[in-house]
Amino acid sequence: MRRLLPLLAATVLFASDAPRKPPANEPLVPPGVEVDEDTLEVLRRINSVGPYEVPDLRLRRETSYAKTPIDYEPYGKIKPYKEHFLEQMQYNGPGRAIPEPEDVKTVKIGFIGPIMSTVSIATGGASHEEPMGIKMLQGARLAIEEANAKGGYLRRRIPFELVVTNDNGLWGSSGNEIVNFAYKDKVWAILGTIDGANSHIAIRVALKAEVVVMNTGDTDPTYIETNIPWTMRCIGDDRQMGYLMVDYMIRKMDYRRIAIIRASNRYGRFGVREIRDSARRLGRPVVIEMAYKLGQDDYSLQIDRIAEVKPDVIVHWGDAREAAIILKQLRERGLNQPFLTSDRAVSKEFLQIAGPHAEGVIAGFPWNPDSSNPRLAEFRERFRKRFNDEPDTYAAHAYDGMNMLIWAIQVAGLNRAKIRDILATRSKPWPGVTGDIPFSAVLDDAGEVYLAKFEGGRWRYYSREDLGIPRGYVPPRERTARGLLNPAETK
Amino acid sequence: MRHAASCLLLLALACALAAEPGAEKLPYVYTKWKQFTVKDGLPDDHIFAVKSDGDRIWVGTENGLALIDKKTARVVKVWTEKDGLPWRVVTAIDVDPKTGDVWLGLFGGGLARLSGGRFDHWHQLNSGLVNDVVYGVAVENDNVWAATTAGASRFNTVTGEWTIFTEKNAPMEEIWNYGVHYRDGKVHLAVWGSGVLEYDVKTNRWKDYLDPDGEMEIDLYRDDGIIHVITTGANYVDGVIWVSSYFGAARYDGRNWRGFYNMDSGLPSDFNNNLRARSGREAWFASDKGLGAIMDAETNTWVAYTRDPKSDTGKAVVTRDKTVLETVEMGLNLPHNFIIAIDVDDRDVFVATAKGLAWGIGEGYYSGLRERPRMLAENRREDK
Repeated sequence: MRRLLPLLAATVLFASDAPRKPPANEPLVPPGVEVDEDTLEVLRRINSVGPYEVPDLRLRRETSYAKTPIDYEPYGKIKPYKEHFLEQMQYNGPGRAIPEPEDVKTVKIGFIGPIMSTVSIATGGASHEEPMGIKMLQGARLAIEEANAKGGYLRRRIPFELVVTNDNGLWGSSGNEIVNFAYKDKVWAILGTIDGANSHIAIRVALKAEVVVMNTGDTDPTYIETNIPWTMRCIGDDRQMGYLMVDYMIRKMDYRRIAIIRASNRYGRFGVREIRDSARRLGRPVVIEMAYKLGQDDYSLQIDRIAEVKPDVIVHWGDAREAAIILKQLRERGLNQPFLTSDRAVSKEFLQIAGPHAEGVIAGFPWNPDSSNPRLAEFRERFRKRFNDEPDTYAAHAYDGMNMLIWAIQVAGLNRAKIRDILATRSKPWPGVTGDIPFSAVLDDAGEVYLAKFEGGRWRYYSREDLGIPRGYVPPRERTARGLLNPAETK
Repeated sequence: MRHAASCLLLLALACALAAEPGAEKLPYVYTKWKQFTVKDGLPDDHIFAVKSDGDRIWVGTENGLALIDKKTARVVKVWTEKDGLPWRVVTAIDVDPKTGDVWLGLFGGGLARLSGGRFDHWHQLNSGLVNDVVYGVAVENDNVWAATTAGASRFNTVTGEWTIFTEKNAPMEEIWNYGVHYRDGKVHLAVWGSGVLEYDVKTNRWKDYLDPDGEMEIDLYRDDGIIHVITTGANYVDGVIWVSSYFGAARYDGRNWRGFYNMDSGLPSDFNNNLRARSGREAWFASDKGLGAIMDAETNTWVAYTRDPKSDTGKAVVTRDKTVLETVEMGLNLPHNFIIAIDVDDRDVFVATAKGLAWGIGEGYYSGLRERPRMLAENRREDK
């Protein structure tokens, strides 16, 4: 009897917070939802814990952050005291025990993106991101509509509902919008943001409010370098694209004098960071870096300075309009060096402004739109039918990201913490229309990135292997273990 | 016979408790705790802010504000939106020592003042508050500072003047303010992506403290500066700056920095939502895996408090560097191990968790280390 007393006490203690147990005849996951044994085991574990327990989940552990080659590692000759982002963050709060509410008529998912023409301090002036935001919204909407056509939220047969808001208002309004999502709209997950500053504001709020944010359009590397267990991203980032571009410029093409021209906003500032640092670490420091304010028409000042240093190659990081104008003005000045730019240039706007100068331009790109992936072909067809237009990067990634959220909700049920767990612990890459999406330990898209080259009137997409771009050595050990393994690896 | 056995037991207990000459110097351990949840009258169990104010404890929750009377240890008043609270989520609290006004940072609702039973409300459309998402609030003389997600705002309560601090007039690499603290003529801002900023009230000058290695993914040297530019809290006491972050913690005494990680200290986890410093030697950290208190900075002596997730008990683990000196089993200490905010007074500690509030009663509290016997396991939990 004495042994039973603590057990009885614990039963009483947890009784009021006990997670909702599905009826005995209800399957763990509704029929029609694809789920593997690993995910089912995660579901069993997260369903079995009370508010005070943290489930024993298999957390991702990696030996190298972002597959960084040894010669791109910061302070490469020094063993750092601590290396972050190698072990997946766990959510340790009580949220898993919150029971699924009964009075739900629709399953709301928040969408936040630059869909209206407003002025944002975060983007450095008038925003040019609306076309991307609109595409992102279309991709997300298509995923919602398709899920609803298949029965919506299958546990209750109620529809998913997209709650849409703009993120590029004044004064960091994305924070207010996430608060509204969390407390007024009561969404179960959020998809969105393109601009890096708005993204950071949004995820800080999501962390407090404890709701997942799936990013599908912000390639700022620092977005996931925040140790927030509630944030994830399904698009390749500027760090990966930067590594590939430097490998191409230096390891393959042997360019010696790299010049950078970039937007002065956060996108430009952080976008070139890995290119600048990696080039320096390979012994080819960038010879000049010029910044410009968004919305300029005349770049003669920056071009004068770049011309003076006689670069072998010019790298641009900014929006499509600026990329095209700068390219034109470079060519008109007789600067015919190879022009590499960020992925935003892969757009109709760039081609319209750049005209024939676009030929030969290379852009880092987070996926391969030329892929023979049948999922992509089918998606394109459905997208065209629905919106009478072609899907772009933002549409395709939003479609993938929204489908990941919908899948996690179908599996986990209406509980924000469990939705997070199901996504965060998925062991197999997500089979997206943009390709397979494997998560890293920081829940970033660790899939392959590409170079887009404008050739013969169209963009063609090349993998590292396609172009024979050498890859730096990625040591199979943590940097903090440097010196403990084969010394030859440091050569 | 029974009497003799009792005497022997008492004797053994007395021997155990008596401080032996040359006994180890150990920190104070809180063993007496009270807990408050919705069952005790709180409007919500998810606690974001706590402030000790004389005989009162102000509690900011995800769904309202509560007041606890220390003398009766009861929740005596609750304010929700129905009662005039401008927005349900209270993320920061400070009290003006001169007027007694209670200043509230509201998560998406701006800034509010509770004065004489009335709420006044400032937001980004009716004032100089730079953003309605307020993470921190601090009273500095006649000014009230608000750390918002898009900069810091300062409101002069006498003149009504607002000043906004962003990257345009302060050394903010990023404008995402997280925490604000005032003491001894200095305002400290913990800024996500911009380390710690120090504002000297007398000279109106700023000073920034950044991670010297400048890299997100590593901490190059442990003691070279703040450990990461993403900071969550900064306190300044006795000329010492204490810093919390999602990557560990740090301390700066004006000459030397010291970093603290779970791997080299008693910090329960590197993920720290906030902190509260009691002195230059003692600070408390709100981690996602328990409550960590460095009780003697010089010797890196910590006490980490956690609750057992499966029972109504808790424990405190005393460590120096990573060596466990003592484990003290006790009754329930923390309502939950996910700690969000902390406040301290001269004796007691108040802990906001994701599932209730804890009040640690520091009977016989002492600062630093003292020669004392190792504590016996005991349950001094009071019935609520």
